[in-house]
Parts: sequence; C-alpha cells; structure tokens
Amino acid sequence: MKEPRTPRFEDVTVGETLPPLKFDVTPTSLVMYAGATWDFHRYHYDADFVTKLGMPAPFMDGQMAGALLARQLMQWGGADAFVRKLSYRLRGTVYAGDSIVLQGTVSDKCVEQGRALALCSLSMTKSDGTQIVRNATAVVELGRRSP
Amino acid sequence: MSTRISDELKSWIGREATYTAPEELGRAAIRYFALALGDDNPLHHDEALAQSTRHGGIIAPPTLVCETNQIFQNAPDENGYIGHSWPLPLSSSRFMRGSNEYEFHQPTRADDRITVTWRIVDIYEKDTRKNGAMIFVVSEARYTNQRGELLAVNRETNIHQP
Repeated sequence: MKEPRTPRFEDVTVGETLPPLKFDVTPTSLVMYAGATWDFHRYHYDADFVTKLGMPAPFMDGQMAGALLARQLMQWGGADAFVRKLSYRLRGTVYAGDSIVLQGTVSDKCVEQGRALALCSLSMTKSDGTQIVRNATAVVELGRRSP
Repeated sequence: MSTRISDELKSWIGREATYTAPEELGRAAIRYFALALGDDNPLHHDEALAQSTRHGGIIAPPTLVCETNQIFQNAPDENGYIGHSWPLPLSSSRFMRGSNEYEFHQPTRADDRITVTWRIVDIYEKDTRKNGAMIFVVSEARYTNQRGELLAVNRETNIHQP
C-alpha cells in the first residue's frame, strides 16, 4: 500500500496543477458505481433500453462525475485533506466506452476561520476533446506544517 | 410570464421530504464506493493509517453521503429505480442533470446513520440556446447523522425538456 502524499498548506502554490486523473468508463465501472450507490436504473447498464431512448450506450450518473472530482481532490490533498465545497455543471453525457481525464489547478489559497483552504478549478474532458465539466470550483481544507 | 409552469407545478416549491436510513452507513459501503471509483486512498479502508491522520479514523469519500438510495427499501420501479423522486406534474420528454453544489460540513463515517431532507427550492423556465425552453427544478438536500450534526448540503438542479 502506498502512503498518501500530504502536501501542507504552506507548500501549496497558487497556479500549481493537480495530478491529472484518467478514468476509463466501462460497463463494469458503471455497474460498480450503480451497485455502490444502490442505483439500479436501467440507464447505467441496459444497452437496449438506452438505445430506444436515442442514447449510444449506458451512461454515467451525474453524481459519479462529482465523486471522481472529489477523488482527485482527496488524492492530491493527502491524508489530512477534506473537501469543503464542490460545484460543477455537466455540459454533456459520459457513456460506457468513454475515457475521461480530470485536470485541476490551485486558483487561490487562504486561511478562513482557522481552516487552511486551497481553492481549485477543475475540468473533465473526454479523450475525443468533448468537455464534460469546465471550471468546476472546489475548496479543499489542507493539513498545516507543525509549528 | 411563463406558460409552461402551471400553478400546480409552482405549488411544489417549498415541499419537503425526509428519510432516515434504517441502519448505519457501514464500512463495507465506504469501501465499495471507493472501489467503484478506482480510489485506493487509505483514508477510506485502512483504519490504522486513517487513525494517524487528523480525521482519527476511516472516513467516507466526500460525496457518498449524497447518494441516499441505500435508505430505501422499495422494490425497483419499471426502470429499476428505488430512490427518492418528486412526482412533479411534468410531462417531460427528456430529463437531464444540470449541476450540483456540495458543501461538506464534516466527514461521514461508517457509524453514521444518515437522515436526508429534500426540499424544492425553485422551479423556473429558461430559454436555452441548445434546446429551447426548459424547466429547471432546483432541490436542496441536507444530510445529518444520528446526533443531528450537519454532514453535507447538496443543491442540485435538474432540467426537464417539456
């Protein structure tokens, strides 16, 4: 098992990039997320059903996009991190068979009510260039260096 | 003024629905959710390591608390769905998720028994460049644990094409 990296608030610089997160959306990953969230809607696994609705393939639940954005933030922030806020708008649909990349940058940092916060701007893009999320915003609380 | 938003539809603004989970979230649910996301962050499965952090123990991935289907014991409907929905008087041909705004007040833990209160905040019509007139339904969900502590708030906009 690898130890999580733990950037301290003091070491984070505005403009730094978060490690990109690549995720292959497969029938398996859609079914795993559907199962883990007790979401048994046919949208996420029934190819015949979604074809009749005019969709090319089963598709990702919108909140799975949020879950992946949060995963990227938590991985970057390390063992003491906690996501405080996350806002995003979906500009498209992610289907089984798509590959997506999540990217992020630190847009600001501040201490508020004793909390060391990094503000991040995030995006989610399919490998064909389609933007699914643009300029999502997040606030991540980080650990601080011991005095 | 809008013609598509009937008084009946408008009367749904302010409606609330509250559900409480029959049991605590559980560590397996946390590990399952992380696994589905390919997430090997030890905060979600390694108790010893999680205890050494400022969290003091395993915490759920942030957005798991906002996935509340597991509260329900309904048989799946004809499309397989078991969770909360508003039976709005809308004959929409298409439904899309618009946006989510999450606020996380404290981490959710395996022994939390979650209560969610959904409320319809707003229903409005807007012309969109891509799809013409659409009806936007804004809901807010507040999630608390068995001690009444606020865990998270999720403001969600769903879009219906009339």
